[in-house]
Amino acid sequence: MKIALFIPCLVNQMMPDVGIATLEVLEKLGHQVILPEGQTCCGQPMTNSGCFDEAKNTTLKLLNAFKHVECDAIVCPAASCLVAAKENFHKFDNSPSAQIVIDKLYELTEFLHDIAPIKQFNHPVPSKVSLQMSCHGIRMLSLATPSESMGRQFNKVEAVLSAIDALEIVYPDPRDECCGFGGTFAVDEGAVSAKMGKDKAQAHAATGAEYVVGFDPSCLLHLDGMIRRQQLPITTRHIAQILNSAL
Amino acid sequence: MTNMTSKDAILSALQNSAAKVKAMPEINIPVINEPLIPRFEQSLATVTATLIKEDGLNALNQHVAELLAQKNQVMSFVDGVQGNRENPELPHQMQDIDYSVLPGKLGVAENGAIWVELPQAHRVTAFICENLIITLSREKIVANMHQAMKQLDFSQTQFGTFISGPSKTADIEQALVVGAHGACSLRVYLID
Amino acid sequence: MSSAQTKPATHAHKAEIFCRDEQRVNWHSKALWTLREKRDRAASQVPEWETLRKLGSHIKQHSLSHLADYLTEFESNCIANGIQVHWAKDAQEHNQITHNILAKHQVKKLVKSKSMLTEECHLNPYLEQRGIEVIDTDLGERIIQLAGQAPSHIVVPAIHLKKQEVGDLFHEKIGTQAGASDPTYLTRAARAHLREQFLSADAAMTGVNMAIADQGGIIVCTNEGNADMGVNLPSLQLHSMGIDKVIPNMDSAAVLLRTLARNATGQLITTYSSCYKAPKPGGEMHVIIVDNGRSEMLKDKILAKSLKCIRCGGCLNTCPVYRRSGGHSYNYTIPGPIGIAVGAQHDETHSSAWACTLCGSCSFVCPTKVPLDKIIAHQRYLKAQAQTLPYGKRHYMPLVGKLMANKTATNCAMTVARTSLNILPHRLLKPFSGAWGQHRELPQAPKASFDTWFKHNRGQK
Repeated sequence: MKIALFIPCLVNQMMPDVGIATLEVLEKLGHQVILPEGQTCCGQPMTNSGCFDEAKNTTLKLLNAFKHVECDAIVCPAASCLVAAKENFHKFDNSPSAQIVIDKLYELTEFLHDIAPIKQFNHPVPSKVSLQMSCHGIRMLSLATPSESMGRQFNKVEAVLSAIDALEIVYPDPRDECCGFGGTFAVDEGAVSAKMGKDKAQAHAATGAEYVVGFDPSCLLHLDGMIRRQQLPITTRHIAQILNSAL
Repeated sequence: MTNMTSKDAILSALQNSAAKVKAMPEINIPVINEPLIPRFEQSLATVTATLIKEDGLNALNQHVAELLAQKNQVMSFVDGVQGNRENPELPHQMQDIDYSVLPGKLGVAENGAIWVELPQAHRVTAFICENLIITLSREKIVANMHQAMKQLDFSQTQFGTFISGPSKTADIEQALVVGAHGACSLRVYLID
Repeated sequence: MSSAQTKPATHAHKAEIFCRDEQRVNWHSKALWTLREKRDRAASQVPEWETLRKLGSHIKQHSLSHLADYLTEFESNCIANGIQVHWAKDAQEHNQITHNILAKHQVKKLVKSKSMLTEECHLNPYLEQRGIEVIDTDLGERIIQLAGQAPSHIVVPAIHLKKQEVGDLFHEKIGTQAGASDPTYLTRAARAHLREQFLSADAAMTGVNMAIADQGGIIVCTNEGNADMGVNLPSLQLHSMGIDKVIPNMDSAAVLLRTLARNATGQLITTYSSCYKAPKPGGEMHVIIVDNGRSEMLKDKILAKSLKCIRCGGCLNTCPVYRRSGGHSYNYTIPGPIGIAVGAQHDETHSSAWACTLCGSCSFVCPTKVPLDKIIAHQRYLKAQAQTLPYGKRHYMPLVGKLMANKTATNCAMTVARTSLNILPHRLLKPFSGAWGQHRELPQAPKASFDTWFKHNRGQK
């Protein structure tokens, strides 16, 4: 397939390794990958603060970067940014050309589970990983059944990773409580955000896992800061990085 | 007059409601096919109540006889069970009742709730007693609350209550304490 | 209490103070999370749980969208049953009506069971100023009434107090043994103390869990039996209800009764679910229907959904922010996600709507599917529209918007930031990094952006 990468600003500026891993995973799977120019922020920091006017410009610029780009799918390694992009594109532009872009948007895990499943991994990854089930991915993108929901349970993240040889998957307790990042929440509500992050980092460390693995770079960045502050024996990895080492 | 005005004001404000219009849904929950009495018993155990399944009225009369022998104050509204207290004129006069014995109309297996409706008694009868005893016909147990509402006829009801276990609270540090303001224990006797 | 004159502090400020005692935060958070776990176990035992949530949501949305009809039907059936119905536009009128009824009967002592509506209306001080003794009879409510505090939770109002604190309070106020803190002992003492109050009360008042339109009656749910003990001793009984409490019939009540207690505390049902459909023989029963801003909320399609709430408290128990900031930090009677949804407009500091990471857990816990995270986001939008954004957002958000929309500017700014993170010692940067660096290590910055890497390594096609 021909895939356009949607690299959110946080990944672009602060976590390029996540972008590189995403690119390499998709290439190893035989896809043709392009990076459309002119990508800006999805507008989430502004819209999550109710500031839609302030978000409009950057959101539309990001949308325009993908309009008329010839591709089968637009893949993003950040669930929260993807959700915001979907919602904000729709809010600011209800034209058919916008809808075409929206319909092609996928989060990386979602893409690898629903659209182009990985047929085979080539290398074992002998590590114990504690999954960071970030909120927007599970509750808005349906990557997994949130712990609040009853009935039939599914988990696309585990489904994708569980085919990797020697990889042991565990979960923190509580399983999917918010890590406390929350965008500007991290600075507006510094004390609560820090306490949530500390609890989450400790819950991950308590599993004895080597890595915290997640699909949302912003949560991982926050957790990384908490982990290093507390000198916990665990490090963060994006799911693309684990997949990349298994391919 | 001011009341009329406020009613009109509220109802007219509601004319401007933007609440999304929704039709009343059909409530059609299938009943889980399982024996009712074991589930009822399990639910009662969960709410710290005791179910006496066998020998209903005899067992109850034997229990009441023991209670009376221990000088308890017992008030019964169940036919064939005699206490030592009559229904008083004022509800406050029941403050020293140790045991109330009441007939239940319907039991709900999923949660142990028993519908009690007793127009001839003071309404506080089921609450003011130290301990509560309820009799229930074993034919009168339904699976869930939907079935209960279907079976019960509320047209003549003035006051009724679903009672599930003895009163309880966990308001101090989430520690469960059985016996808050209502009865401190509940025994349920199944009768034929 | 002298701080009543000064402007209240923001949620973040109050939360920061709450968080200073980390052991206490852990204790508070765990107590509430235990309720969430009990809820999960109870819900998982009902195979049709998600169907019940959907039905509950539809029943409440249906009722809200036909509210005038159902309220009218409810009133006429109540009147036919001998119940006196009153309508109050706002808290003031509610309190006046209540006082008039009590004054007419020369009531000196009123026993109350838990009602968030009377808290919202500040009824207790209103009546006390007019010489009526008001006794809250729910154990948690009585504790905070004796302590002179507001409830910190809508179901377990004294959840913020430790048993030792309750023990000290009871020792001082109702004469329990000094140092005694056993919950069973304290509860027994409260039972004896409140029994005297029940027996000597001239009137009783309760809230309403559900008002049944086609019956002309109300349902009141308690575990302690305090509502029923209170209401059924004196001849005069009063019940206050928001206009949002009315539902069509008992079949609707069945759905909500199945989820209410399970979602609140993990119980199968509350111990008592009582239906009052008429005054007791020789007595009087009054129902006061209160608007107090609800019809105004209904004018907003999104805020309207918050009125589906049945006050189980499940959203508070799951909320990671509520559990770590306490119920007194929200600047409204009702805290937590539902408190923000229905109360953000009353928060003078405009900050409560930001006491949320938009994680969405509350919306998935809710037994009537109130989209709490969407409503909270909408409350933020309303604050932005009213130009009342907190935490300096009004000034910096336009700048962020401009910066983010400008690729070159963003790149330049971020290059500077990355470079600073790399070359300057982090202890130098910390004072400038605000709340981030206060609690976390600063990010380990890469040398170049992904853009740059891509150009070098993949070239431009």
